[in-house]
Amino acid sequence: MTGPSHSMIEFNQVSKKYTRDVVALRDITLTVNKGDLIFLAGPSGAGKTTLLNLIAAIERPSSGTLTVSGANVGKLKSSGLPYLRRNLGLILQQQKLLQDRSVLANVMLPLLVTGATRAEAEKRAQAALDKVGLLDKAATDPQALSGGEQQRVSIARAIVNRPQIILADEPTANLDRDNANKVLDALKSFHAAGVTCLISTHDEQFLNSANRVVFLDQGQIVDHWQNSAVGGAA
Amino acid sequence: MKSWLRQHLFAISDAFTHLFKAPGGFALNVLVVAIALALPFGGLTLIENVRPVSEQLAVEPEISIFMALDAARDKTAALAKPIDAVLQQHHSSAKVVFIPREDALISLKNKTGMDDALTTLGQNPLPDAYVLKLAGFHDAPDAARIDTIAADLKALPGVDTVQVDSEWVKRLAALLGILRLVLMFLAATLAVVVVAVVFNTVRLQVLTQREEIAVAKLVGATDAFIHRPFYYTGALLGLCAGGLALGAVALGLQPLNQAIAEFARLYASEFRLLPLNWIASLALLAISAGLGLVGALLSVRRHLARLA
Repeated sequence: MTGPSHSMIEFNQVSKKYTRDVVALRDITLTVNKGDLIFLAGPSGAGKTTLLNLIAAIERPSSGTLTVSGANVGKLKSSGLPYLRRNLGLILQQQKLLQDRSVLANVMLPLLVTGATRAEAEKRAQAALDKVGLLDKAATDPQALSGGEQQRVSIARAIVNRPQIILADEPTANLDRDNANKVLDALKSFHAAGVTCLISTHDEQFLNSANRVVFLDQGQIVDHWQNSAVGGAA
Repeated sequence: MKSWLRQHLFAISDAFTHLFKAPGGFALNVLVVAIALALPFGGLTLIENVRPVSEQLAVEPEISIFMALDAARDKTAALAKPIDAVLQQHHSSAKVVFIPREDALISLKNKTGMDDALTTLGQNPLPDAYVLKLAGFHDAPDAARIDTIAADLKALPGVDTVQVDSEWVKRLAALLGILRLVLMFLAATLAVVVVAVVFNTVRLQVLTQREEIAVAKLVGATDAFIHRPFYYTGALLGLCAGGLALGAVALGLQPLNQAIAEFARLYASEFRLLPLNWIASLALLAISAGLGLVGALLSVRRHLARLA
């Protein structure tokens, strides 16, 4: 990844408290630059999912300032949320595919919500499915796919809108090594195309692929290292 | 194609897609709403049919003056001038028609088919009569003047009975007024029922599509995009129910008209109940769709806010 770096996401002293005693994130300060491939590592309950949820404005910070693509997430009105999320590709641990619609219809959804024509949405969804190697499954119902294939469908859905940022929460959880590698390869190919990626994982084997790794524990950043061997605007 | 139009077409198609997934449930809801709508629609149809009759008769009130049976014809004929004097005294004008008892008998025989019964009486039971068709009487104070004129006419020599023919029309108008009020109350109550049924239908749909709504929100759907299919579902439910209710009322008029025809024939009338005209029908369909939309709006605002 080359070119002048500029920040896509900025955490400044961000905390997230659910109750007085339950604190998911404490004073997080982190800058994610355009083109970064960042892995969020840490044990369960470290705050990885909460951090991604804050970026997607699924949750709001309790304190501090979080800016995503120039928008202050803490102050963003609910009417502005859809426009923020259209710049994000979300890949969740639970794939959240609509089981009563075909794979193609699932991937078309992010385009249809933006007002794209059906023809255009279908064409781009097919292209996205092709990129994750599932074009031949376009007409299939999601429940007929394996876990790995379903995760790749959710990747296709995440990238179909050509987002600037991809957020993936444990995308390889519950997958065998072969499927996990396929999912990771797909994500790395989008990163290579210039998309900023934040991926939370338990799997330490993948950390070598990252240009940055952020270690979280008990809601705090406990370590943060950069890998100059991997491209990215660190 | 404009983007907003495309979004609306998508919402309509989405609404239909979900309806076709559970057509039985939708049909049942349409039936419930249609039953609720059929009652005020039927009442309105009845009022719209009776209203022209009452209005037409009310603007041309008649006073019938029946002479005593033993009144001499020359005395009866001489009554024309005193009648005119009474009318002038009350600053009124009227078309005065004298109906000899012989003509009245012939007319009665022709109209009612009671020829045989009247023949058995042996003599003419009808008196000579004057019929006054009053002009320029439209409202309640005018009606009071008619009563005064009738009282003065009753005092004329040889007059047995004075009958104000607009009396029953006034009663009918008053009855229609009450009926209209009852109908408005009924319509308002049933409108609440319709809104409640649609509210609940949409609530169930929101719950069924909870997952889909969550996914749509995550991929950047606006509230309007998510709400629209539910609005169309509500409006469609109201529209279908309105159409069904109008159809049911129109069908219900057929057997009713058979009974009415028998009754009206006795009065030499061809009165029959007609379905509402197309403008009124379209208005009722629009109101039905509007009620469905209101139910959906309330439901979506309440239940999607909880999901947000």
